[in-house]
Amino acid sequence: MSISSPPRPAPPPQAIRGRRRPSARLVRQATPYGFLSPTIVLLVVLMLTPIVMVIGYSVLDRVVTTNDSTFVGFDNYAEVLTDPVFFTAVRNTVFFAGVSVVAHFVLGLGFALLLNTKLLGARTKALFRMVYILPWLFTAAIIAVLWRLLLSPNGVVNYLLQTDVEWLANPDLALPAVTFINIWAGYPFFMVSLLAGLQGIPQDLYEAATVDGASWRQRLFHVTLPQLWPIIISMALLDFIWTTQQFALIWLTTGGGPIVATEVFTTFTYKLAFASFDFSVAAASAVIVLLLSMVLAFFYVRHQKAWD
Amino acid sequence: MTSDTLAGAARRAEGLRGPTRTKSRERTLKVGAVVALVLGALFAGLPVLWMLSSSFKSNTEIFELPPRLITDNFSFGAYAAILTDPTKVRFFVNSYIVSLSVTLLTLLVAVLAAYAFSRYVFPLKKSLNVVIVSVQAVPPITLLIPYFGLMVTLGLYNTYLGLILTYLVFTLPYAIIMMTGYFNTLPRELDEAVKIDGGGAMTALWRILVPISVPGLVSVGIYTFMIAWNEYLFALTLTRTDDRRTVPIGISLLMGQHSFEWNEMMAMSVLGSVPVLFLFLFFQRYFMGGMTAGAVKA
Amino acid sequence: MGKGTRTRMLVVVVAAASLGLTAACGSGDADEGSEGGGDVALDFSQWWEPELPEGSFRTLMDRFEEENPGITVELLSGPYSSTKEQVVAGAATGTISDVVGLDGAWVSDFVDQGAIADLSKTMSDAGFDDTQLASQVQIDGSTYMIPVVNFVYPMFTNDDLLAEAGVTAPPTNRTEFADAAEAVTAAGGASGWILPLSLEAPNGIQNDVMSWVWASGGSMLDDEGQPDVTNDDVRSGVEFIKQLWDADVIAPGAATMKEQDKVEEFTNGRVGVMIDSLAHINLIRERNPELKFSIAAIPAEDGYTGERGMPYASWGIGIADNSENKEEAWKLVEFLMSEETNAELSTMANAFPGNTESVPEFVEGDAVFQTAFDIWQQGYPANEFTGLPVAEDLMRTFSEELQRTLTEGQPVDTTLSNVQEAWMQEF
Repeated sequence: MSISSPPRPAPPPQAIRGRRRPSARLVRQATPYGFLSPTIVLLVVLMLTPIVMVIGYSVLDRVVTTNDSTFVGFDNYAEVLTDPVFFTAVRNTVFFAGVSVVAHFVLGLGFALLLNTKLLGARTKALFRMVYILPWLFTAAIIAVLWRLLLSPNGVVNYLLQTDVEWLANPDLALPAVTFINIWAGYPFFMVSLLAGLQGIPQDLYEAATVDGASWRQRLFHVTLPQLWPIIISMALLDFIWTTQQFALIWLTTGGGPIVATEVFTTFTYKLAFASFDFSVAAASAVIVLLLSMVLAFFYVRHQKAWD
Repeated sequence: MTSDTLAGAARRAEGLRGPTRTKSRERTLKVGAVVALVLGALFAGLPVLWMLSSSFKSNTEIFELPPRLITDNFSFGAYAAILTDPTKVRFFVNSYIVSLSVTLLTLLVAVLAAYAFSRYVFPLKKSLNVVIVSVQAVPPITLLIPYFGLMVTLGLYNTYLGLILTYLVFTLPYAIIMMTGYFNTLPRELDEAVKIDGGGAMTALWRILVPISVPGLVSVGIYTFMIAWNEYLFALTLTRTDDRRTVPIGISLLMGQHSFEWNEMMAMSVLGSVPVLFLFLFFQRYFMGGMTAGAVKA
Repeated sequence: MGKGTRTRMLVVVVAAASLGLTAACGSGDADEGSEGGGDVALDFSQWWEPELPEGSFRTLMDRFEEENPGITVELLSGPYSSTKEQVVAGAATGTISDVVGLDGAWVSDFVDQGAIADLSKTMSDAGFDDTQLASQVQIDGSTYMIPVVNFVYPMFTNDDLLAEAGVTAPPTNRTEFADAAEAVTAAGGASGWILPLSLEAPNGIQNDVMSWVWASGGSMLDDEGQPDVTNDDVRSGVEFIKQLWDADVIAPGAATMKEQDKVEEFTNGRVGVMIDSLAHINLIRERNPELKFSIAAIPAEDGYTGERGMPYASWGIGIADNSENKEEAWKLVEFLMSEETNAELSTMANAFPGNTESVPEFVEGDAVFQTAFDIWQQGYPANEFTGLPVAEDLMRTFSEELQRTLTEGQPVDTTLSNVQEAWMQEF
């Protein structure tokens, strides 16, 4: 089976009706843009416009809150980069996103394999599929409220563990606790995508491996994972970017506290925007995050090319 | 070598190891799988079970110690309160309208774009790719006010269309990336076959690629639906009146300044998730059906 | 392109288009702004409606509409936790409502943004006698927000827990309080006190921390309204809290606890004493009818005999600066502040009226509320955060530093000087 290689140019259209037509070459070149046109229009109008405005805000002073803004160059950026809390936020975000993504992958893969195995009946698998997808169904506000209830010092978890640990209020435990909640809430994404991917692995690869005497572990590492690898990389990158955007979950469980134990990019930016009313600096912080993600995205695209 | 021979060879290979050992090995694996399955289900489901149990309690009982699953005041009162309130029911209707529309439109636009990325080489391909991936990285909080202003200028404030377009833009990057990856695994020979028969790009796309990509479409569709269903910030900001507001806002309205209606919040959440669960149940078989893409041999 | 494909494509496009069209058309009936012929439609955005008895707020609005033919009021209720952002965003995009529900902590920032109108001018234009207003929130001498009803924060005591611990009466000064808290904790099964320091909604600093300072007549500002947190009153208040913390009488989970959690813990009989809003009296009665509790004034420093400041939070009201219907909007404000309506609203909300003449119904015949009302009359309303710039952020900074003192042992003096420095930057 051939994986995508640069496509050979399509043969020119045969039966052409009508007198004048644009040259076949022009049509060929324009076709991909035609397919992309709805996407481009939507993204340019609805995404790029506000992003450009935000970039604009980041080099102005006192935007939104007043009508007289002045150009201040990179002052806002300097303010963000010299704020020690910013670096704490970066550290926390990297921990939060990194651990989440890895755990999402491990859990997602594990569950997907379980839900796909031949060892169990179709009905069993269908039932458990429903159970496994549950965490995905709820909005962040409810997940936050639910877990605050569960993790409260007088809550169910402490009752079951017969302890009185302050999961969310202890500065050392808060970030791992919040990360755990995010892992719970987010693994279905990996699981569902991997399930779809697993359907695409040709059965004869497995059969060939079995004939060669491979154990299930070897089948996993030598057939399944390599086949799924492009999907895994895509999703890991996307999940990382999305997790760094996670706001409501952290805000509603700990508010970035205790002190700054769970302060991440998003809570840091939110506080700048809506608590300190400093939209200019908040915009600068957002642009910094955007630039960092573009670096990640760039490497991702390069990596994709290598796979082609 | 055909699959028949391979399968036969595999069976014979197993047979060579002896029936008893294979059987007991399979039994162990099966038991292991069931144990893992149940543990996983506990991990996924216990908090949701707690949510369900809370929705049947009275507000006081939610905080009592020791905690119990079923309490003395077990009642459906919270559900009744929600289902008999036309405003709240309207929230559900709005959520459905928006989420379903977003899903359909996202799939449509993403399939077109993914086809372009997967099958064509053109200048700007790489940069467009980078742009699409990285636009997701801007914190929505900072985009809120400029975006809000844009929506007002376009006359889309407090409209379904405003919300639909907003979520479309949120979910497109993922949908495009996934569908591109998916199409990339489908061999070019399929396209070529269509073109030889005199069909154009659209035919290749809609008649051949899309039907094979159903598992991918389903998983992207489910993801899109979830994102649109659960989004709060933009739903709140871009709507003004109750006849446009969605379920997450409805839930937050129950979190008052002075007290939370805990059981109603949980009930609303449960009510919101049940139909989605059914949708998922319905579309599950598309995960089950084996893909035919892998059937084309090199 | 084969015919079949074309048809299929057409179907898909038509389906998508019709979906979109339905959605777009469905949006057609959401009209805002005035109806026909001279009628004025006011938008009133607030978070009060969901907190009041079902339909009661709308009834008030209906009465207003009857008394003022030609004006209609549309109530736009939003979740409390998002209200501030929504007002900011609304002001920035020109979609802010004519009449806005406000919290005192936001006033200064909204005035900076130019979001809310100068009410002093409106009042004088309308010839309004403002002596009946219990308080007005002013910046630079002009009123921008009028507190409609006030939620007072006295001390609640769980009488059963106190009795079990051998405490016969609610504590009246700090020493008694500390002793009572320790006794309750020692008796087991409950904590003496509870302190919500969540950074998400840091009003614990206002209600549960600064209240100690104000109860002893202290202040966190100097005469010119500039921050002065390093003074003795504030220091003694913070040191008192540290003392309670070290004695382990504060309920666990303080650093991320919110007001709603505090109430639930008290209602479930796991806390001996709490400082909390009167609005919760009915909530507690409803949720746990067996709980015996009483209201008392927040204890002052030992030996203090002066007037005690009582913390309060209000439901305030303001008018959007770019509203085209300021006159009609003022009529609505006036209506809500009128003696009868204000009393009615206070009764519904379990709060104290913003009109000096109004007396809410619940005061007559209910011992608990009567006590509270008496305490309110005897003391003075104390909430120095009202009208300060970025007030919520000031509270947040204070909470962070206080948490450092409590959990990391940062010296109280360092904490206070850090706070002072941070606050001064905002002024």
